[in-house]
Amino acid sequence: MIAEAQGLRRGMPLADARAICPRLVTHPADLPREAAGLMALRRFTLRYAPLVAKDGSDGLIADISGVPHLFGGEEALRDDLHARFAGAGITVETAIAGSRGAAFALARHGGGIIPDGALKRGIAALPVAGLRIGHEIAGGLIRLGLTRIGDLACQPRAPLVRRFGPGLMMRLDQALGERSEPVAAEPEAPHFGVRMTLPEPIGLQADVMASLLRLLKQLGRKLARHEMGARRLRLELMRVDRETIRIEIGLARPMRDPFRIAALFTRKLEEVDAGFGIEAMRLHAHVTENLPPEQIDDTPDQEDVLADLFSRLGNRLGFQHVQRLLPADSDIPERSFTLSAAAYSQAETRPLRYGPPRPVIIFPPEPVTAVSGHPPVRFRWRRRGYTTLRATGPERIAPEWWFDDPAWRSGIRDYWRIETRQGPRLWLFHTPQAPAWAMQGEFA
Amino acid sequence: MKDYAELCVTSNFTFLTGASHPEELITRAAQLGLAAIAITDRNSVAGVVRAWTALKEMKRSQAEEDTPIVPRDMPLPKFIAGCRLVLTDSPVEWLALPTDVAAWSRLTRLLSLGKGRAPKGECHLGSRDLQEWGRGMILIALPPDPLESGCSHADLRAMGHRFPGFCYLGVAPRYDGRDPLRFDHLERIAHKTCLPMTAVGDVLMHRAARRPLVDVLTCLRIGCTIDDIGLNRLTNGERRLKAGAEMARLFQHHPAAIRRTMDIADRCGFDLGHLRGQYPDEEQDGEPAQDRLERLVREGGIWRYPDGLPPKIAARVETELRLIAELEYAPYFLTVRDIVSFARSKGILCQGRGSAANSVICYLLGITEVQPGSITLIFERFISKERGEPPDIDVDFEHERREEVIQWIYKKYGREHAGLTATVIRFQSRAAIREVGKVMGLSQDVLARMTGLMWGSSSKGPGIGELRAAGLDPNDRRVGLTARLIGEIIGFPRHLSQHVGGFVITQGRLDELCPIENAAMKDRTVIEWNKDDIDSLDLMKVDVLGLGMLTCIRKAFKLLKDHRGLELTLDSFRPDDDPDAPPVYDMLCRADAVGVFQVESRAQMNFLPRMQPRDLYDLICEVAIVRPGPIQGGMVQPFLNRRQKRESVEDLGPELMEVLKGTYGIPLFQEQAMQIAVIAAGFTPAEADHLRRSLATFRRMGTIHRFRDRFITGMLQNGYDPDFAARCFAQIEGFADYGFPESHAASFARLVYISAWIKCHHPAVFTCALLNSQPMGFYGPAQLVRDARDHGVEVLPVSVNHSEWDCTLEACGDGELALRLGLRQIKGMKEEDAEQIAKFRGNGYPDVESLWLRAGIKPEILERLAEADAFVTIGVGRRDALWAARALRSPGMLPLFGADGEGVDEPKVILPTMTLGQEVIEDYLSMRLSLRAHPLEILRRRLPESMVHERLSVMNGRVSVTGLVITRQRPATASGVIFLTLEDETGTSNIVVWRRIYERYRNAIIGGRLLRVTGRIEREGQVVHVIAEKIEDLSLMLANISGPGRIAGNGPPQPSARHPREQAKRLFPSRDFH
Repeated sequence: MIAEAQGLRRGMPLADARAICPRLVTHPADLPREAAGLMALRRFTLRYAPLVAKDGSDGLIADISGVPHLFGGEEALRDDLHARFAGAGITVETAIAGSRGAAFALARHGGGIIPDGALKRGIAALPVAGLRIGHEIAGGLIRLGLTRIGDLACQPRAPLVRRFGPGLMMRLDQALGERSEPVAAEPEAPHFGVRMTLPEPIGLQADVMASLLRLLKQLGRKLARHEMGARRLRLELMRVDRETIRIEIGLARPMRDPFRIAALFTRKLEEVDAGFGIEAMRLHAHVTENLPPEQIDDTPDQEDVLADLFSRLGNRLGFQHVQRLLPADSDIPERSFTLSAAAYSQAETRPLRYGPPRPVIIFPPEPVTAVSGHPPVRFRWRRRGYTTLRATGPERIAPEWWFDDPAWRSGIRDYWRIETRQGPRLWLFHTPQAPAWAMQGEFA
Repeated sequence: MKDYAELCVTSNFTFLTGASHPEELITRAAQLGLAAIAITDRNSVAGVVRAWTALKEMKRSQAEEDTPIVPRDMPLPKFIAGCRLVLTDSPVEWLALPTDVAAWSRLTRLLSLGKGRAPKGECHLGSRDLQEWGRGMILIALPPDPLESGCSHADLRAMGHRFPGFCYLGVAPRYDGRDPLRFDHLERIAHKTCLPMTAVGDVLMHRAARRPLVDVLTCLRIGCTIDDIGLNRLTNGERRLKAGAEMARLFQHHPAAIRRTMDIADRCGFDLGHLRGQYPDEEQDGEPAQDRLERLVREGGIWRYPDGLPPKIAARVETELRLIAELEYAPYFLTVRDIVSFARSKGILCQGRGSAANSVICYLLGITEVQPGSITLIFERFISKERGEPPDIDVDFEHERREEVIQWIYKKYGREHAGLTATVIRFQSRAAIREVGKVMGLSQDVLARMTGLMWGSSSKGPGIGELRAAGLDPNDRRVGLTARLIGEIIGFPRHLSQHVGGFVITQGRLDELCPIENAAMKDRTVIEWNKDDIDSLDLMKVDVLGLGMLTCIRKAFKLLKDHRGLELTLDSFRPDDDPDAPPVYDMLCRADAVGVFQVESRAQMNFLPRMQPRDLYDLICEVAIVRPGPIQGGMVQPFLNRRQKRESVEDLGPELMEVLKGTYGIPLFQEQAMQIAVIAAGFTPAEADHLRRSLATFRRMGTIHRFRDRFITGMLQNGYDPDFAARCFAQIEGFADYGFPESHAASFARLVYISAWIKCHHPAVFTCALLNSQPMGFYGPAQLVRDARDHGVEVLPVSVNHSEWDCTLEACGDGELALRLGLRQIKGMKEEDAEQIAKFRGNGYPDVESLWLRAGIKPEILERLAEADAFVTIGVGRRDALWAARALRSPGMLPLFGADGEGVDEPKVILPTMTLGQEVIEDYLSMRLSLRAHPLEILRRRLPESMVHERLSVMNGRVSVTGLVITRQRPATASGVIFLTLEDETGTSNIVVWRRIYERYRNAIIGGRLLRVTGRIEREGQVVHVIAEKIEDLSLMLANISGPGRIAGNGPPQPSARHPREQAKRLFPSRDFH
């Protein structure tokens, strides 16, 4: 709104917008999220009409036939809707009209209500662009001076059809209510939740497990129908004393196999205090992913076994604590790998690496003392003395200059591979800009 | 210190790879005491001349200066010009170092071959090509790292067999901990392939501090940000130039590899100074060049002076001819003459300028039109033996027909003998900010803000103030780094482009001198060196330039012939003794110069009334003085004061006064400044000229102050005023890039006179020719048309029944000529369609459909014509015509059902009529001009406080003016002052915006199309300025001219419904000059 007051408009090139408003803050459009938001609003709007459909990428159309009297008239309905949306912090523009086309035009050019029978008069002053006719045709009409719907409606039809095609007349008729246009609401998205009310409160762990299994089977069928698998599940146990216990588990891969999922619940159910008994249960898979049907075979897949392990560990320790190493593109030893939650990342094989060999174990630099010689002939590390058998190097690595890493403030490092008489093959470095030696790795 | 020669150095002429200028590398090599350094860029020799020139400059500085760049006792490195050949069919790269001129020629031919096969900027060569052409070059193989990939040695062995004794194996340290192992591996390969091992540094930068820049360049090359560079970064800064001792330490187990570099350096006997451009001998039918030149000069004498040569001229011709004979420059003059006479034969107007054009011979040969008597011909400027520099003549041609001349040159000399010089496109601040900022991960928003703050193409990085204004914290580490890198990358070459028209022509093959590559433009071939390089190597070149005004003048001559029966040529004007000259000068003195060559710029227009030119020499001064050189040197005000006798001419001694007497003791021309250096500062002529030509090099090497000190001390010693000395030097600096020699100014001044003459005596013809030569000059069609109407020319609207593609002239009842706008003024119109319309016109088209039926004009074009209101002469208005055109658009329409066929008449449609405002806006949308009304006329009643321009001249004190912005200028010389020109329905007003005001109203000034300026009136002679104090952007009002409709009031989803001001920007464009 503030941007529009400054003179910015939709469809304006970014550079132009910036020229007008240099302080403009921009964010790239997130179309899937916007669409999802619109769908949420659509669900909300269902309280005003049984049929609500998406209308373009930025609007909703509701067929309110027979509804207004429930709210005390059209005006009251519109006020109620505006008040509720305003309460939720959403600015909307709405229009009520006798035809879908007229409502579309009015909602996008001021909003309001066109009373019954006044359709033609009501939309006469609106710009032709409101007719859902595309920029090209609208532009053509405007160039001829036919800028308002009223200008168009009073012209002979045949010449207009000849010049702009039949589409224009169709849209005009639809707006004037001379051609019907139904509202087609799209189907609801599937809801992966199941519930069960028990005739008698239960308290035994085995009973709860048995009920859970029944719920899981039911949910599994529902998931299978939509070729989906659960990633997170929430189980709600309603106790007789009106307390609700919530248990949530995560899965390292999408799954719908009741038995394997049930196994993950076991440990958490053990800790549940059933009180005077549980009288109802609800299970909801609130995070789901695509899981196409697979051919059944008996040998368990290596990947799946690993994923099940992650699920078990993750539900016990927290998924963020089960991590794996991933290779990273950097010649700085500390940054040549990254840690990432195992359940949310894919294993990567280390790309074929060129360049000098790297130790098997890398650890944070540790001080090396009592160094004599360059490269060291004798030195102490971890309270043991070492004598050098052979030293190879130096490999000079300079810090990544764009990245201020406290560990690298000592400047460039000269790395040496040192085979010791004592056996270990070690990876030491020297920092010539702040002379000191440190140990950072061990070769196999 | 160990002797070592660095044989593998990549400069920043390997674009987006090397991180040091060739000059920096050479200087650093000298400081490190290297015995020799080679510049070996990837498939290119574009940077070698820079390095060679820098070395020459260091030598000169050691020999001549008290505090040379490199201490006198330090031996300078030897420079080896070479190339790193990257082959398409082999992983092995080869350093090619020519040992003699013949080998150099083979190298450049090899490169030309590869470049000829590839698109611009690339070079496709195979091992077979190298085997064929590689004789006489030292070839150092750089195989891929043997520790990483096994590679067959067949390539190495084959090359070794082909060129025994010339092939080596290059070994470069990598400093990755495996160098000893690597050296051993390579030594084994060396033994196996019999290629002796030699050490190379594989240098990318002159100091390790350039490592960040290398990484940024790598990111630019592969297109990623610095955080994603990963393993492509430079792990350490070891790929820098290293001293011999350090290389010896790295190669301590292979001392022979170090020693061998010295052997190789000794074998490379080729020096770029050995290159001699053998100029074509220009013999014709067995007649030697000198004889032919003398014959042509004699013939020219009879043509120019039918009554016989005046004795003074004849003597001068004799000396000039003798000097030319002595220096054997006759072929060069003949080349230029031939080009000019070719152009003449085709009716292409042309005119020569440049130092060598400053001669009687050029006048007699028809190269220039400047009469020898009208300017002072300083003989030394013509050509001089001491300087040993080649003569220099630039020839301007009509810009629309220059391509004919270029192709003729290619045809006459052949593509192996003629090529255009290159221009090095360098990183300027905007590009640097954009690209480095992107690499450093700054957001698009921030970058846009930062570049938006830079005006024009400056060569400075962003300062702390700019960073803050862009919303960045200059103390942030990353921001600081980015700013530093931007500063470093500015001036780096980015790619080669073609020079506007500098031709190098040779007798032998040009590609034996320098590689030739394809240009982006079809049918053009370009050499790898630019103008400065050509100058440094003393190669001769001819500049074939395009000049819009010549096109305009030719068109005007044609119109004068057709409509007035006047046969005019460039030489039929006598600016000093024409009977119709006084009105022309009167007009110029009034600063009535819209469209006149050179003097139409804002600064010139201000200057004209103060200058009061009355003859050609005044015009010459006028052209020369409003240039960066004299302005920087502060020469303008004293010149005017002395001319207006408000200040007496100070006596500078007889010698200087001889030089400066014509210009009131003020140096205006290049040669005058040079002569001051000689006479007053004690330079030798060669030094003075060297100074002027090498200023660019000095700036890059940071040694300019040495010359300044010497110059000023020299002048002080000879008893000149320190202030005057400083001004003279400032002017020489300015001249380096923009100065005019006198003959050059004289050539331009003639064009000023000719164009002013046409404007004064035939304003309709002048405007018509100008419109037909667009785009050119400072003003757009709207201003030109308006100026013509102010001068009483009737301008007729575009009409399908009258207009051609070009604008035309129609005779009016009173014998005057009226200007009919051509179809070319309509946006989106094509020339073929316009020709069709004219061809099938017959007795005129009765309606819109007949154009479609008879001329076959597509409905889309008909719509454009309708929008331009071109049917108004047949009584069909804009919207009705559009309505009719639209009907033809529907698919499947057959003429049978049209008005001519059996179709039933359509019901009549009444379209809303347009308001005047809408018509004006439509005119501007379609043609960028309107004959109906000025937009301000419609807005006037809403601007009661604004002064009409007409009344400015009688006003005093504070006023408000409102107008469309026509031009915005920020001259580099005016220290941040901006000049705006505002146009209203009565004329244009000049606004001066001081820096302080600019800072405050920056957005309005940069973005606004309609401005209201409040400020003080200032008068200087006849010129009235408004010194801005307050500036308001009223562009929004433009949108409301048309009322609701086309521009405003449409719903948001329509893309054409932009912000009104943005719309206004497209409607009323201004021309901005930086």
